[in-house]
Amino acid sequence: MEILGLVNYALFMAIFIAIYALLALGLNIQWGFAGLFNAGIAGFFAVGAYTSAILSTAADDGRIGGFDLHFLLGWFGAMLAAGLIAWPIGKICLRFRSDYLAIATIGVAEIIRLVIKSEPVLTNGARGISGIPRPAGDIGYMESQIAYLAIVLAVLAAAYFLVERQFNAPWGRMMRAIRDNESAAKAMGKDVEFRRLEAFIFGAALMGLAGAMFAHFNRSITPEAIDPMVATFLVWIMLILGGSGNNRGAIVGAAVVWIIWSVSEIATDRLPHEYAVQAKYIRLFLIGLMLQLVLRFRPEGLLPEPLRGDRRTSQSGTEPH
Amino acid sequence: MDLLELINFYLIPGIVLGSIYALGAVGITLIFAILRYAHLAHGDLATLGAFIALAVVTSLGISPLVALPFAIIATGAVAIGIDKVFYEHLRERPKIVTVMASLGIALMVRSVVQVVWGVDTQTYSRGIVRPEDYFGLRIRDREIYTVLAMVALVGVLQLFLTRSKWGKAMRAMSDNPNLALLSGIDNKKVVMLTWGIAGGLCAASGFFLGLNTELKSMMGWHMLLPMFAAAILGGVGRVEGAVLGGLIVGIAEEMSVLFIPSEYKAAMAFAILLFMLLVRPTGLLKGKVL
Amino acid sequence: MKTKLIALAAGLMTATALASVPAKADVKIGLIGGISGPIAAMAPAMVDAAQLAIQQVNEQGGIGDGEKLVGVVGDSACNPQNGTDAATKAVNIEGVAGIVGPHCSGAVLAAAGSVTIPASITLITPSGTSPEITSLEDKGTVFRTVPSDDYQGRALARTMKEQGYGKVAVAYLNNDYGTGLANAFKAEYVDELGGEITQFAAHEEGKASYRSNLAELVKGGADTLVIFDYGDGTGLTILRQALENGFFDKFVGGDGMKSDAIINELGAENLNAFVASSPVGEKSQSLDVFNEAFKAVGGDPDAIFVSTSYDATFLMALALEKAGGDKAGAAAAMVEVSNGEGEAILPGEWKKAKELIAAGTAIDYKGAAGDHNFDANGDVPGTYALWEVGSNGFEMLTEMQ
Repeated sequence: MEILGLVNYALFMAIFIAIYALLALGLNIQWGFAGLFNAGIAGFFAVGAYTSAILSTAADDGRIGGFDLHFLLGWFGAMLAAGLIAWPIGKICLRFRSDYLAIATIGVAEIIRLVIKSEPVLTNGARGISGIPRPAGDIGYMESQIAYLAIVLAVLAAAYFLVERQFNAPWGRMMRAIRDNESAAKAMGKDVEFRRLEAFIFGAALMGLAGAMFAHFNRSITPEAIDPMVATFLVWIMLILGGSGNNRGAIVGAAVVWIIWSVSEIATDRLPHEYAVQAKYIRLFLIGLMLQLVLRFRPEGLLPEPLRGDRRTSQSGTEPH
Repeated sequence: MDLLELINFYLIPGIVLGSIYALGAVGITLIFAILRYAHLAHGDLATLGAFIALAVVTSLGISPLVALPFAIIATGAVAIGIDKVFYEHLRERPKIVTVMASLGIALMVRSVVQVVWGVDTQTYSRGIVRPEDYFGLRIRDREIYTVLAMVALVGVLQLFLTRSKWGKAMRAMSDNPNLALLSGIDNKKVVMLTWGIAGGLCAASGFFLGLNTELKSMMGWHMLLPMFAAAILGGVGRVEGAVLGGLIVGIAEEMSVLFIPSEYKAAMAFAILLFMLLVRPTGLLKGKVL
Repeated sequence: MKTKLIALAAGLMTATALASVPAKADVKIGLIGGISGPIAAMAPAMVDAAQLAIQQVNEQGGIGDGEKLVGVVGDSACNPQNGTDAATKAVNIEGVAGIVGPHCSGAVLAAAGSVTIPASITLITPSGTSPEITSLEDKGTVFRTVPSDDYQGRALARTMKEQGYGKVAVAYLNNDYGTGLANAFKAEYVDELGGEITQFAAHEEGKASYRSNLAELVKGGADTLVIFDYGDGTGLTILRQALENGFFDKFVGGDGMKSDAIINELGAENLNAFVASSPVGEKSQSLDVFNEAFKAVGGDPDAIFVSTSYDATFLMALALEKAGGDKAGAAAAMVEVSNGEGEAILPGEWKKAKELIAAGTAIDYKGAAGDHNFDANGDVPGTYALWEVGSNGFEMLTEMQ
C-alpha cells in the first residue's frame, strides 16, 4: 500500500511535470529563442483550457456550448484558439521592448482572467466548467493515471521533437540571430517583426495545449486556476532555472521546480503538530530559499543553452538594445 | 451627478489610492533605472513595512504616524540586506535571473510576515473615522497625511537626486553606468542607497495602504501589478513619471466604475497602460528603453 | 549540481517516506485548506475547528479499537493546481481515510475530479459553495456541510422581506461564493417577492478603495446595502468605507460577513444597523455546545465557516467509525449517520455515538451548522438565522425560513 501510494504520487507528479514542461517549452520558444518577455502565460493557458472545455463538454444551457466533441478536437481547438488570440496581442504588443512587453502581457492576461470570471455566457463565470471528459478516465485510479501520463508524455515528446528540430533548422539560427542582434538580422533581410510574431504564436499555442491538458486531467477548470503565481511566475522559474534556450533544460527545470514545490510540503509536515498551519507558510519560505540556492550556484540554469558556434553576448532582454 | 459628489467619491479616493501606488512605483522605477530589472518582491516588502509599523505601534503604543519613520528605516535596511545576501552575486548575470530571484524573495518575505504576524486582518487603530467637511469636500485626516507624505517624500527624493553628491551619482549610474564607473563613482554605495530608498518608500506605501484600509498578509502582492503599471506608464527611470503614473492609475481605477462594470475595475490600470504604450511607447515622460 | 539536486530531492522523498510510515494504529484524515492564497485569513480558524473535532474524538476513546484519529493538514492555496497536489499527497503518501476540504470550490472540483473520485476516497467540503459541486458525477463520495448558495440567498431574501427591508443595493465578490449568493438572492427578492434591487454590482478582491463602487451603488436611492463577501477581507473594507462615508443606513451580509474581524476592527458601537445570516443547527443547542467547546480551546466561534468545518470533520469521523475503518464504505456510512433518523448526536458527543454505533443503533448527527441530512447529491438543506451585533458579539435576531 505504501509503495502503491508512492507510485500513485509519482505518477501524479509526472503528469503535472509534463504539463508544466509543455508550458516551459512554449515559453522557451518565446523567451529562450526569440527573446520575448511574455509574462502573460496564464492568459494563454486559460484560453486553451476553456476552449477545450467548451468544445468537449456536454451541452449546457447557461453558456455557449458545450459541443460534446472528442477530446482531441478540444485540444486541437485549444492550440488554435490560443494561437489565434496571440496573433492580435502579438501584433500590438511585440513592438514594445523587454520589460514594457512583460507588463503589457501581464495586463492582457489579467484582462483575460477578468473576462473569464465575469462573463457567465462565455465561460460560466466564477463557477467554472466541470464535467470535462478525461481520456481513459473511467478505469481504476492508478490505471487511469498511467494512461493519462502516457498521453501527456506522447504529446510532450512530440512537441519536444518538433521544437528541437525547428531550433536546429535554419529557422532556429535565424531566431537566435534576431534575438542576439536585431539590426544585423534585419540588415540581412530577415523580416524581424513577422518572425517574432511567429515565435509568439507558436509558444502561445503550446501554452494553450498545456491548459487543455490540465483541464481534462482535473475534469474541471475554474478561474482560480489562472492565478499568476502558479500559472505564470512558476513557469518562468522553471525555464530560467532549467536553462533558457535549451529545450531539455526547460523540461528538467519543470521537473526540479515542481518536485521542490510539491515535496517541500511533505518536508514541512514533519514539524510538530501544533505548527501544522505555520508549516505551510514556512514551506513557501523554503521554496523561495531553494530557488535562491539554485540561482546562486547555477545562475545559467541546470542545462545551459548549448553553444552552437553562435555564441551570444547577452542572454537578457533587459540589456540595452 | 454634481461636481462635489464626483470629487468626494471618485477623485479624492483616486488621489489617495494614487499616492499609495506612486510611493511604490517610485521605488520600482529607481530599481529599473539603476539596476535595470523588475523587482517583483516590491509588493511584499510593502507588506513587511506596514507590519513593522504595526509592531512599533502596538509595542510602544505610539501613534501610527510616529511609527512610520521606524518602518521606513527598518524596511530600507531589510532591502539592503536582501540585496547583499541574495541579489549581489547575480549582478553580472543576465537580469532575468535576478527577476526570478526577486520572485523567490517575495515568497520568503510573505512567509516571514505570515509566521510572525499571522494572517488575521488587522488595523492600526480600531473603529471608524468619519470624514471632516471642508466646504462640502469630505476628507479624512489620514487622507491628507497620505497625500502630503507622498509629496514630501518624493520632493525630498528629488532634491536629493538633483542636489546632493550621491544623488547625482545615482542619476549618473542610471544614465550611463559605464561612464559613471569610469568617472570613479562607487557602484556599491550607489546600489546600497538605491535599495535603502526603494525599501523605505515601499514601507511608506504599505503603511498608508494599511492606514487607509486594513493590514493583510497579501495586501502588497495585490498592489504589485498596479504599481508596475504606474512605473511603466510614467516612463521607466522617471521619478516624477512614477508619481504621475501612480496618480493616473489610482484615479482611473476609481473613475472607471462610472463607465464600465465594477468587476472590471482592476483591468483599468492595464487598459490605460496598453493604450499609452501604443501612443507613446516609452511612457508619459519618455522613460528609458531598457 | 544536477546530481546534487536530484540527490537532495530523493533524500527529501526518502526521509518523507520513512517518516510517514504511520504508527500502526493511527487513522488519518486530510484537512485540506486554502492556507496560503486569497483566503489565508480564514483558513487557520477552519483548520482549528476541524482539529477540535479530532481532539474530542481522541479524548473520548478514539476511533475503532481506540485508535488515534490524526488530521493531516494540506495547503490547497485556493487553486486547483495546489489543491490536487495536496489531495494526491494526502491520499497516497499519508494514506488518509477521507478528506475534509478543500476550502475553495475550484480546488474541490479539481481534487474530486482527479484524485478522490477515482481513488474512491470520501471528500466533504466545509466551504465549497459552488452549484457545480452538486452536479459532479461522484459515485456518492462528495459531500458538503455548507448548503449550496442558492438556499441561503433565497432564505435571506425572504427574511429581509419579512423584516421590512425595502429598496436594496447588492455588492458581491466576483467569485463563486459571492456570485452564487447574489444571484440566488436576486432571483428570490425580485422575481418571487417583488422587491426592488436598485444596483447589482460585482467587485474584485484586494483593491484598496471601494468608495467609487459605493457611490455607484447608492445611486437609485436604496437605503440598505447587501454585501456578499468575506468579513475579514474585502467585505470589511467595503463596510468600513460605507460606514465612514455614510453611504447606506442599513447593512446586511451573508454568512461570510458574520466575522469577528468586523466587530474587532470597526467596533460594535458602529454596527447597530448591521445584520448577517449564518447557518445554525435546527436544534440550536448544537451551535451553543460547539461555541462553548471552541471557545474553551481558544477558538473564535464567530469566525467564518468554523462550524461547518467542525461538522464536516466530526461527520467524517462518525462515518469512518460506522464503516469500521473501511475507506470505501465511508461514503455510504456518511449518509447513514446523518439522515434524520435515529438517536440524536450533538457536537462533541463522540463517546455516546461510538457506543450506539457499536450496539448497532442508528444515529443522527445534529451539527452546529445544521442537521446535515444529505440528499442524493451529497448536499444539505441549510438552516439559517439572522444575527445582529450586540455587546457580546453576534446575537441571534431571528431564525430564517
